[in-house]
Amino acid sequence: MRSISYTFTVNGIERTTEEKKPLLRYLRDDLKLYSVKDGCSEGACGTCTIVVDGHAVKSCVLTTDRAVGKNIITVEGLSLREKEAFVYAFGTAGSVQCGFCIPGMVMAAKALIDREPDPTDDEIKRAIKGNICRCTGYKKIILGIRRAAAILRGEEEIRDISQFTGKMLPEENEFISVVGSNYDPELASGIANYENRGESSQYGVGKNVFRIDVRKKVLGYGKYPDDIGPEYFVPSDRPDIVRELAGWTEDEYKEAEAKGMLKVGTTVSKKDEPLVNICTIVDPDMPPMAYCSAVRSDYPRAIVKKINKEKAESLPGVLGVLTAEDVPHNKVGHIQQDWDVMIAEGDTTRMVGDAICLVVAESPYILEQAKKAVKIEYEPLEPVKSIAEARAEGAPKIHENGNLCQQRHVVRGDAAKALAESAYIATASFTTPFTEHAFLEPECAVSFPYGDGVKILSTDQGAYDTRHEVAIMLGWEDAQERIVVENQLIGGGFGGKEDVTTQHISALAALKFGRPVKAKFSRAESLRVHPKRHAMEGTFTIGCDENGILQGLDCDINFDTGAYASLCGPVLERACTHSVGPYNYHNTDIRGHGYYTNNPPAGAFRGFGVCQSQFALESLLNVLAKKVGISPWEIRYRNAIEPGLELPNGQIADVSTALKETLVAVKPYFDDAPEDRVGIACAMKNAGVGVGLPDKGRAKLEVKDGLVWIFTAASDIGQGCQTVFIQDVAQATDLPITKIWIGIYNTDNAPNSGTTSGSRQTLVTGEAVKGAAKLLKAAMDKEGVTEDSLDKLNGRVFEYEYFEPTDKLGSDKPHPKSHIAYGFATNVAVLDAEGKVTDIYAAFDAGKVVNPLSMSGQIEGGVLMSMGYALTETWPLDNCVPTAKYGTLGLFRAPDIPDIHAIHVEKDELLEVAYGAKGVGEITSIPAAPAIAGAYYARDGVLRTSLPIEDTFYSKKK
Amino acid sequence: MIKRVRKKAYVRCRGGSISCTYGCIGCGLCVSACHLAAIKLEDGGPPVIDRDKCVGCGLCAGACPQHLIEVILPDYNIQVKCSNCDAGKAAREACVNSCIACGLCERNCPADAIHVIGNKAVIDPGKCICCGMCAVKCPRGVIRDSNGVMTAD
Repeated sequence: MRSISYTFTVNGIERTTEEKKPLLRYLRDDLKLYSVKDGCSEGACGTCTIVVDGHAVKSCVLTTDRAVGKNIITVEGLSLREKEAFVYAFGTAGSVQCGFCIPGMVMAAKALIDREPDPTDDEIKRAIKGNICRCTGYKKIILGIRRAAAILRGEEEIRDISQFTGKMLPEENEFISVVGSNYDPELASGIANYENRGESSQYGVGKNVFRIDVRKKVLGYGKYPDDIGPEYFVPSDRPDIVRELAGWTEDEYKEAEAKGMLKVGTTVSKKDEPLVNICTIVDPDMPPMAYCSAVRSDYPRAIVKKINKEKAESLPGVLGVLTAEDVPHNKVGHIQQDWDVMIAEGDTTRMVGDAICLVVAESPYILEQAKKAVKIEYEPLEPVKSIAEARAEGAPKIHENGNLCQQRHVVRGDAAKALAESAYIATASFTTPFTEHAFLEPECAVSFPYGDGVKILSTDQGAYDTRHEVAIMLGWEDAQERIVVENQLIGGGFGGKEDVTTQHISALAALKFGRPVKAKFSRAESLRVHPKRHAMEGTFTIGCDENGILQGLDCDINFDTGAYASLCGPVLERACTHSVGPYNYHNTDIRGHGYYTNNPPAGAFRGFGVCQSQFALESLLNVLAKKVGISPWEIRYRNAIEPGLELPNGQIADVSTALKETLVAVKPYFDDAPEDRVGIACAMKNAGVGVGLPDKGRAKLEVKDGLVWIFTAASDIGQGCQTVFIQDVAQATDLPITKIWIGIYNTDNAPNSGTTSGSRQTLVTGEAVKGAAKLLKAAMDKEGVTEDSLDKLNGRVFEYEYFEPTDKLGSDKPHPKSHIAYGFATNVAVLDAEGKVTDIYAAFDAGKVVNPLSMSGQIEGGVLMSMGYALTETWPLDNCVPTAKYGTLGLFRAPDIPDIHAIHVEKDELLEVAYGAKGVGEITSIPAAPAIAGAYYARDGVLRTSLPIEDTFYSKKK
Repeated sequence: MIKRVRKKAYVRCRGGSISCTYGCIGCGLCVSACHLAAIKLEDGGPPVIDRDKCVGCGLCAGACPQHLIEVILPDYNIQVKCSNCDAGKAAREACVNSCIACGLCERNCPADAIHVIGNKAVIDPGKCICCGMCAVKCPRGVIRDSNGVMTAD
């Protein structure tokens, strides 16, 4: 047969292939152009955008045969000038968070700028309409693209930001600051990147800082686990490859060898970029990387009668098919270990995403063939579809202890009496849907045999959590150090990467077959498997006196936690404890129940249960305000918590409490908007895990080669905590950025600093980093060490553990301390005549604002996420089977965004810890949804009790 | 600065048949309607639009007796280029370039933006993200990319 070949140009080089396949696969697998990200392979997300003959094109859609004769450019093929323009523009604009969408955004922008050198915002929005960003809310990406265009036109300069101590950001990057006296936005400055780090020390706490991960994310050379290909594992007898990859000179190479950096098991970083690993050295006998993937259940509830795997196992290139029998302990689970690694023959599935067996093969192509060859015989059973079915008499038991997964009862005062005596009562039943995190990077892990155990290169929210779960599966709970978990770049999480998904199966396969194994979820698999935001059915009753002063709350909160518990307990608890809102009243009776069903599991999601209960509470406050005859702003202000008052859970609101300040900050916008087109909502959210759990922050600073290295196993899922840690050290020590480095951290070299959850890293780990930095500073002062003589401290290690005990739920103390801090917020949503959301004024009290640029990025992204929750996002299930694809989830795209105005509220009175920072990650996604619902209530007087809210400008589009 | 985005005329027929009752009949009314000489009729139709000259005024669309011309924002580069409303077999027999309502586009669309309505593929511009998946999957080459990347234009 005559072979057909396809020839085209990639980044200026003519390439020929005989394979007909999506260009995405050719660029990544054959040319190793890893800037071209694989976010969905369905054409929906835009992370794989490249430029073809001047047009932005999704490379997962275009195939090699259709690309013949075309000129293809990826980020790697941009000119040096373009690269620098995008790095600078995106860094100073704060466009980069998790970074997974960014190379695609850059290429969409390049196609636009080449065609239209001076694009309007509207043109930019339309140019990136095919590119989803889940972190930023697009605002800063649009600004970044506008600035990159200005630089490429020659109208703006790339300034040496490391030397820059004036106002770095043009006024268009505005956010409104309502701040205390110790804050001066004029003193902004930045960190350029590791290659271009100047001597300025203007990057301490409170400065607008260029994040440390901008360059590698914009240019696409930073590694997410999926960017680890077979070539990542270099045999120890090929040091020449390592040298070339690292870019070492002969002398540097010799030095590395002398330091033992070429030994088996070592991970080598890119020269001058300690956070970019380029290879791991393995034994020359180690076989190349294999691929594994699970065959998953077709039925939400069915008995697995037989697994016919022989045909798959006999295919050439298949290493084996693992089943439950091959797992030492067939259970995992973040808190409750109720999640079967694989469903064994004779057992019953609990959801459609359940793994039945695990196929391991030499290549992704063979893997797909083998998965199809596995035939599973089922006996389908009627699934448990809803909370009502789960708690019905005689309902099938999904887990052996029944369908009630978790319950909480929070009582203070006498709610029944308070409600009976209230002048006005508002009551309603609310339903909120499951929500998909839709992070841009699907789950992926690469594991390989390491020492007497396994090393897992992961993308998750807590390296030690993953280690613990994998240890349970392997039966290594007493020898957890045999497992090393090392997070790579993390392409978004939002709570959806707290549970293990790919890590444990890749580790299992790596140990079984003694070689590196990659496990990667397809987008469809990701949608089915990882836990969602809980769907809620709840009834809320709240009462106030004739002046609108709240008296009491009674509520029933029922969560559908799907097939597995995941984080049902803590999420349900947070929903209950926060259902009262940030107000000053003390009669509450809150009953929370979480039920197992055969739906996909629910667990952590930014907002952690509070999005659900605050939507209900804030909606009812508007009803009460109407009954009392005061404005929605007024009822909130009259009841707002203040420092020294008792929160509804009995905790005394601390000095940093700034709810009233956030209300005052948005008042002008609320008053200016037409009365029937504006809505308002407040929120509170804990920072730190709290409730009596041992939530510790730990950090280790090591002085090496005259530099300070920060080690802490705290996942930066895009929120920017690594940059915050550098700022903390800079603030404590006055050292310049050139001296403060973050290395690759893992469970072997860095202390456990808990999960990226509960808005805790900036506060809890931030305090630990600060503590360690103060120890370093003390040593420097004692020994007269300056930034130039840090060498004198070489080899010294400074460790700090921060732990502030809290009281457990139901503590009998009069004023239990549930959480170390609370953040507060008020959002105002404004509609136009058609009901379209035009503006959201979003005021947040996060204590000390460590990096204002990052904080407004968090706000804009969180608010847009909340707006999706309010108006467009759905997760439809058909008899427990999810029917949505990534592109039909209802995620907002750039052309449809409102103007989100981030308002930072920073008081003079701050907490002592972490320079007063309280964290802002989760609260950003809570108040916008009820504010928008409130605006619609003002518009037509209809109380909307389900999400997404019905009969809106946005529901017309469906 | 506000820039006006000009729409462009788009012809929903690729030609290829004289027996199709839905397609271009080569009457030339669009050519006469255009003030800018942006439309040419070659080989009896369908018309070819000079996208550089077209300003999206819509006169041609109003003139077409077959209602084949639409003015569309140039961002929407992926378009269905057939107006045949016959069921699959009849459509296949009517023209080599016809939509046979097979539904492959609908099944592969990531955004739920294209649907077979009245035996032909119709794109909902409110949902379309112009990824071109339908153009790549269409077995009849009916869905085209006016940028000339996913298909010749």
